[in-house]
Amino acid sequence: MGRWRAVDHTADFALHVWGDDLPDLFATAAQGMAALTVAETAGTSVMLDVTLDALDVEGLLVDWLNELLYLSERHEVCWTAFVFAELSPVALQATLTGVPIAERGSYIKAATYHNLAVHATPEGFETEIVFDT
Amino acid sequence: MAEKKDFKQVSAYVWELPQSYDKRMRAPARIYGNAEIFDLAFRDTSVQQLINVAMLPGIVGRAMAMPDMHQGYGFPIGGVAAFRSDDGIISPGGVGYDINCGVRMLASSLHHEEIAPYLETLNAALYRACPSGVGGDGAVKVSERELDTVLEQGSGWALQHGYATRDDLERTEDNGCIPGARADAVPSRARERGRPQMGSLGAGNHFLEIDVIDEIYDPDIAQAFGLVKGNIVVQIHCGSRGLGHEVCAQYLKQLQGAPARYGIEIADRELVAAPVDSPEGRDYLAAMAAAANYAFANRQVLAHFVRGAFEQVLAGQVSDWELHQVYDVTHNIAKIETHAVGGKQQRLIVHRKGATRAFAPGRPELPAVYQATGQPVLVPGSMGTASYVLVGTETAMAETFGSSCHGAGRMMSRNAALRDKRGEQVRDELRKQGITVRTGSLKGLAEEAPSAYKDVDLVIDSVTGAGIARKVARVTPLAVIKG
Repeated sequence: MGRWRAVDHTADFALHVWGDDLPDLFATAAQGMAALTVAETAGTSVMLDVTLDALDVEGLLVDWLNELLYLSERHEVCWTAFVFAELSPVALQATLTGVPIAERGSYIKAATYHNLAVHATPEGFETEIVFDT
Repeated sequence: MAEKKDFKQVSAYVWELPQSYDKRMRAPARIYGNAEIFDLAFRDTSVQQLINVAMLPGIVGRAMAMPDMHQGYGFPIGGVAAFRSDDGIISPGGVGYDINCGVRMLASSLHHEEIAPYLETLNAALYRACPSGVGGDGAVKVSERELDTVLEQGSGWALQHGYATRDDLERTEDNGCIPGARADAVPSRARERGRPQMGSLGAGNHFLEIDVIDEIYDPDIAQAFGLVKGNIVVQIHCGSRGLGHEVCAQYLKQLQGAPARYGIEIADRELVAAPVDSPEGRDYLAAMAAAANYAFANRQVLAHFVRGAFEQVLAGQVSDWELHQVYDVTHNIAKIETHAVGGKQQRLIVHRKGATRAFAPGRPELPAVYQATGQPVLVPGSMGTASYVLVGTETAMAETFGSSCHGAGRMMSRNAALRDKRGEQVRDELRKQGITVRTGSLKGLAEEAPSAYKDVDLVIDSVTGAGIARKVARVTPLAVIKG
């Protein structure tokens, strides 16, 4: 079961994220980001499909989180559940489920590549992501 | 990890890490600040981020951090670095996501006592006229075709549509239009995000403020800038909104392969870079300039609606007033400029990430009105504290490629700020100081509490002590709108 922890950063937000496997890591990172950016949700859930590719797993993670930020801004929806039809280190296909945002939380402009590395551990995967605010 | 002892003290306000500290460094790294500011630099990873910048190819002179330096992502905030324009690099991480985030100041002929009775109403009118918040739509709708003009002409578009005066453009960095912008270099998603947001503040640390000029340090220059003690000014702090964020994100992605293609060594992936003179580098520069132009137009539209709100509230109450533009500065940008390097004029690409251009008198980029004074440098403090108007100096031209600080600089993380105070408490504290506050997000207000920032006076003492800017005037807030 994935977990995340907010890490102090002077100007921006950072999250340390652990996942049992890559889908768990990607889903947990997305949930951590949603916990920062959304205070309250209300209404009927919506679904959306996403397809992305990148040069490597770190690039894919940045693309994934920035895609969710964009889709959250565009549809005014907080994405909460994720089913991955495909998730390799360089490509993903996912179905997102989300709930309309009733109240926003903190403002995040983008997920960054700053010192980003996804590490394989005996328990699964972990990483630390810095967000520009 | 570099330590204080690795730095050599050059003067009371300048500290230098020699290039020999790390064999990957291609230039020394300098921190501007008094002893207290220098100490603060070691509280986070900003020194390492500065060293990473000093490792980039084609760097000229030194990698520098201004006294408002703090940890960023890629470049430290407060970072300044110039690269040769022939074989140097351009790095989107040296500009950041909010391309041409900047500050505009409008000065008035209104004494603060004259508008005191209308301040609450004025702040409410400004809050309605200048939309703020995450993703929120702007005050103006632009068509796809108009957006092309915004991207390529910046404030020129605003002038054509009645949102600007010629004086406004003259008193905007680069006349509100960075040359070389190409609308076709801007990704479609950036356009989609930016089109509905023209004329909006956004969220985060962006704000709109009514201040009173409470101190004049240089009467002659203050007069030239139109600043009169006791009168009010308006500050607008915002940038290129979702359009800029998307340009940065998309080009960071596109450039991920560039370091390997061009043999550029980088210490952090956020510093991905391409040669200035490469297809990738040219495209990013053209897109960045377009996003910067969008930001100039955005602040111009907001200035227009600020004037409208004043008109609406003061109609029939106060007559003979004006809100004239002092200047508009950008503090997230990379620009091609010519500077003296080793006695020779050299064309450089100067990255300023959370740093402000601070040109001395006589620079051809400055408008006629500021040829004799030098460039106004606008330095907003944290919410509730003083902001400063400075002026550029020859020392800045000689040492920092004509650059100075951009603000107070954060000291406390957003999480720590949220733990420290609730938004209601921050609002009440500001009210006790006589400052009216409006915000769409009390949580955002807590994140931006004045206690989360360095003391702006320390930062200002450091830049003036180092001689890279001089004090002209101080302003303190009366009313704040927090994005």
